[in-house]
Amino acid sequence: MSPGLRSLLLLLALALLAPFAWHVAKALPQFGSPTAAYGATVNALGPPLRHVSNMVAAVNFDFRALDTLGEESMLFCAVTGAVVLLRGTRGEGTNRRAGLIPGRAVLARSDAQVLLCRIACTLTMLFGLYMVLHGTVTPGGGFQGGVIIASAVLLLYLAEGYGPWRRLIRSPLLDVLESLGVLLFVGAGAAPLLSGHAAMSNLMPLGHFRDLFSGGVMLVTNFAVGLAVAAGFVMLLLEFLEETRALQSDSLPDEAQR
Amino acid sequence: MKALTAALLLLVAVAGPSVVLSRDPRRQLFALTAFGALLAALFEVLQAPDVALSELVVGTAVTPLLFAVALTSIALDRRRR
Amino acid sequence: MSLALGVLPWLVSAWLFAVGLYGIVRSRHYVHLIACLAVCQSATYVLLLSIGFRWHAGPPIFYDHPPGSAAVDPVMQALVLTDIVVGAAVSALLLAIALQVHKRRGSVDPQSLRPLRPNR
Repeated sequence: MSPGLRSLLLLLALALLAPFAWHVAKALPQFGSPTAAYGATVNALGPPLRHVSNMVAAVNFDFRALDTLGEESMLFCAVTGAVVLLRGTRGEGTNRRAGLIPGRAVLARSDAQVLLCRIACTLTMLFGLYMVLHGTVTPGGGFQGGVIIASAVLLLYLAEGYGPWRRLIRSPLLDVLESLGVLLFVGAGAAPLLSGHAAMSNLMPLGHFRDLFSGGVMLVTNFAVGLAVAAGFVMLLLEFLEETRALQSDSLPDEAQR
Repeated sequence: MKALTAALLLLVAVAGPSVVLSRDPRRQLFALTAFGALLAALFEVLQAPDVALSELVVGTAVTPLLFAVALTSIALDRRRR
Repeated sequence: MSLALGVLPWLVSAWLFAVGLYGIVRSRHYVHLIACLAVCQSATYVLLLSIGFRWHAGPPIFYDHPPGSAAVDPVMQALVLTDIVVGAAVSALLLAIALQVHKRRGSVDPQSLRPLRPNR
């Protein structure tokens, strides 16, 4: 199919769908109308039932924890797929040499960059841990905190350079951390089954309202998600950065057998 | 409040085509980062601080980085041939 | 004026999706295509959050406001929150696939790569 024909088909389809989209836009409730019953119920019953103040975290990690388990498995599978694709053609060995590829200039790091990134890395890591731990009380949670920790590791790469950073951040450790996160989540869901309750029931002590350690099993699932997300994104970062290093041999290992 | 929400929605509606119409992937990175930041502002105005935090970190730090490293790898592979 | 504001988010969401789709169809570089896919995904985020929004209501975080004060829908925010993070991981997977395509076929132009052609 030629590109012109494809664009024509797309414009035709969009022109056909536009009146329906306009009809749906007019038929939806007005922007800003009162919320649906489920959301209003969660807002009303969440604090007395679970003693937490972050309703979004309560929905994610307690009321709809099964959906979050599905999302975390999706994250796990996506990270595994990307890692298998990138590590598969590169081999499992690590590359300590920093970017010595002919024709590619290796710029020296400036002092300002090193200083600022060192300061920013520690502050960002601390902020990410704060975000994960306070997930049930203030805006935050495992997902946001995990990604902030991953960006702190990126700042560490900018501060230290590739060689020292690679010696510190090892892939086997990241594999273990990510799997531990998923296992902890599944374990928190399966543990109530051992004592005869439904899966993912909240059986741990609930704590006081607006306290740091409130919410029961939400704390465990929150921490598990934070661990899995942080380790997963750092692993992605590592695999992508390894792609820009010099290969040990120049041919793709599976093609060398022909 | 209504004016702010309407203005941010219109800004997002303008930033979307700017991402699509930047043909060179290296230039598109900056449009993508600006798009992520605008989305984070919109989510904040729509009273969703959790979502705004998430979109801010993912859309302005992690995703453009992954794109930049992927583009570098493609360029290196092209030079290696 | 407020009638226009009542349908504006739905129209912006539909517009973003259409624009992203146009970019995917007319793309000449796989990395550009993945960024247009991100625009399509953001259309759904805007739609979901706008459905949950309510005028003169605060966020569903009852740390400063007492429980029982007007708040927007937390379920929509929970959906979008996980979606954003998982969407980034899926974009990374797609980028890894694009890298592999370039290594094996030498090009990242969707319109010049036809499937099931023999390797190079």
